[in-house]
Amino acid sequence: MALLAKSRSYRNRHQRDAWGFLIVGAVLLLVFLVVPFLLAVGMSFTSQRLLSPLPTRFLGTENYERTLGDPDFIQALGNNVRFALLVVPLQTGLALLLAILVNQSLPGVKLFRVIYFMPLTMAMAAAATIWKLLYVPDTGFINGVLGWLTAGAVQPNWLRDQSVALLAVMIVGIWQSTGFQMVIFLAGLQDIPVDLYEASGIDGAGKWKQFRYITLPGLRNTLIFIITVTTIFAFRLFDTVYIMTKGGPLGSTDTMLLRMFTVGFNQLQIGRGSAVAVIFFLFVLVISLAQRFWLRQEGERA
Amino acid sequence: MRQRMSFLAVLLMLVSLLLAACGDSPTATTVATTAAATTAAATTAAATTAAATTVAPAATTAAATTVAPTTAAPAATTVAATTAAPASTGGGTCSATVSGGPYNLKAWFSGGLGDLDVLKTMVDSFNQSQKLVKVEAVVIPAGNFDDQVKAAAAAGSLPDILYLDGPNMYNYVWNGNLKALDACLTPELKADLLPSIIKQGTYQGKMYGVGSLDSGLGLYSRKSILQKNGIRIPTGPKDAWTADEFTQALKKLQASGLKKPLDLKVNYASDGWWAYGFSPIIQSAGGDLINRQDFQSAAGVLNSEASIKSLTIFQSWFKDGLVDINEDDNAFKSGRAAISWVGFWEFPAYKKVFADDLLLLPLPNFGIGSRTGMGSWQWSISAKTPNLDAAWSFVNYTLQTEPMLAVTKADGAIPSRKSVIDKSTQFAAGGEERLYVEQLLGDTAVPRPQTPAFPTITVAFGKVIRDVMDGKDVKAALDAAVKTIDQDIKDNQGYKTVAK
Repeated sequence: MALLAKSRSYRNRHQRDAWGFLIVGAVLLLVFLVVPFLLAVGMSFTSQRLLSPLPTRFLGTENYERTLGDPDFIQALGNNVRFALLVVPLQTGLALLLAILVNQSLPGVKLFRVIYFMPLTMAMAAAATIWKLLYVPDTGFINGVLGWLTAGAVQPNWLRDQSVALLAVMIVGIWQSTGFQMVIFLAGLQDIPVDLYEASGIDGAGKWKQFRYITLPGLRNTLIFIITVTTIFAFRLFDTVYIMTKGGPLGSTDTMLLRMFTVGFNQLQIGRGSAVAVIFFLFVLVISLAQRFWLRQEGERA
Repeated sequence: MRQRMSFLAVLLMLVSLLLAACGDSPTATTVATTAAATTAAATTAAATTAAATTVAPAATTAAATTVAPTTAAPAATTVAATTAAPASTGGGTCSATVSGGPYNLKAWFSGGLGDLDVLKTMVDSFNQSQKLVKVEAVVIPAGNFDDQVKAAAAAGSLPDILYLDGPNMYNYVWNGNLKALDACLTPELKADLLPSIIKQGTYQGKMYGVGSLDSGLGLYSRKSILQKNGIRIPTGPKDAWTADEFTQALKKLQASGLKKPLDLKVNYASDGWWAYGFSPIIQSAGGDLINRQDFQSAAGVLNSEASIKSLTIFQSWFKDGLVDINEDDNAFKSGRAAISWVGFWEFPAYKKVFADDLLLLPLPNFGIGSRTGMGSWQWSISAKTPNLDAAWSFVNYTLQTEPMLAVTKADGAIPSRKSVIDKSTQFAAGGEERLYVEQLLGDTAVPRPQTPAFPTITVAFGKVIRDVMDGKDVKAALDAAVKTIDQDIKDNQGYKTVAK
């Protein structure tokens, strides 16, 4: 009996400790993440304005109807999708390639790891400002090199031409974050036991077969993580376009977050800005869930 | 089971919190603001009447001499202490003479100001000049300044004194955040202020902002290059180039070998610049950003024939490759461009490069005469400041001749008082930048529309300019802007004044 009581108190105390630890994080999450988001959901149904002496009115779904009926928003959403469709596979593939390259044990390879990772250590705002200068059509560095390579035939007006502006933004995005994914892939690669490669080598597998049947399956979890995170980052596109194009020319680089910022802060319409935020959240949530579902299925088949 | 219960409890808590926040917030805030407003009104009424009734003569001298607060203030304290005013006159009074105290006031500045050091020195010298009011200058990083002020206004926690750039001021007034300053300005001071500054600071008949600086736009060029190409040199706003003449001049310059002769400071790339720099185009043609009769709609004004025609000319400059995108901000100084469309702030830099060859000309006339933007940073006082006189004594101090000369010299801006303009070498009659003063004294300068819809107008018109530069159909761009602006006004019930 006494023993039982003691064990129960022991368990209780343990549980108390666990709750104690949990509560700190939970409260922080609650105050800074959950509550603000729920407030945003609430405000998205109202006429809430940043500065207004008028009482806030309940609008029902009007903010949502107006946002979804706004051709600018639809264009921004389309840009986000296009950006993600191109950037996610490109960036993941490039990061994997770089990771494999810098995973060799060659002299000086550490230098390359540092070089590839370096763009990430730069503040995005500063990087975007510099890229903006590189993209200048007449005197910029990029067109200078392109002009030299193609004898002046290829001279795109990078940030002011609708057909290439989004591409210009993509290049900056890929340049900046590939290094991050490379490092994660690198960690994943180093987790794959070397004896697997040795054994397969003895069995006569070539480099490609090793990659296909050892490296890729070994990186499955890393891949899932990277694809999910890159997708979310791709939809969160904001700072590059804010600095480089402000969404122009003619809305060709506008994004959902840029719409949210413009509507909410510049036009002071917090209610409608919140509606954009909620739509954005649901959109990303659905895509992430779909990805998880699809990737898990894929994994089970393999 | 227990876990599920606690989860449910947390969820319930959150939902009730959410409901409380949504349902109560308007009433809660209004109650809070009204309560605060009434107490503030009561305290200031009591304090100000004391000052006004007893030491009125001192107030007039305060306007004339810079260090009046030092001499006048101690006297006021004793007076106020002996004759605590029993009743207020209701209209609210204000003077630069402080009673009671000491008062510790906060003033917010944007970190992006070119004359920040001078402003800070001014705060220091004000603090040393008297003992009753101590102003603490709080500098907020430039990028965040606007958002911080908006957030503070929304939360009802603005500092006593704000140094604001025009656009959002009318919003703060509409929201009841600022004090009217009409009672503070002596008739002498008011008569001495540029008419443009009074228009800029006035909302629905009352003045809420007054500053030391005014601004303006002009075309900078080089005498030698215009003469060489046989281009007429205008002498003032009255004989400004017509839009056609201007376009022809650009083409001549292009033919003479300058690939892209026009610098429009495209590199500034902010809605603020698009609205300030290019709304004069439609205004010079007879259009405007909004119908100023009642500020209820932009229809038929912003998308008028005049606006469409003038912006089509603007668009043609881009289509014809006349505009340098100026990414290095060096198009004019390097000589790549022959004409630079920009404000007073570039004068010193351009002067340094071109010396006596530099010309300052009015913007082109698109139909009814040359027009320019105007207005600048200005002082406003929070509705919640414990003592209007104390806050005003500081603002008043900055509007005196010496501080104003110091600030305008550092900023390069036009002084807001005619008497100070006459003392400035740049802007007095015959001065090199006299054009800016002529524009402000005549009907060339157009104030921003005095409406809380201005932030939306800025965003909408900024988009028009960006889209038009990128080749969008001008009428379609303007129609879209009208729709955005009119919707915003409708959403806010016409921005009608709400009784507090």
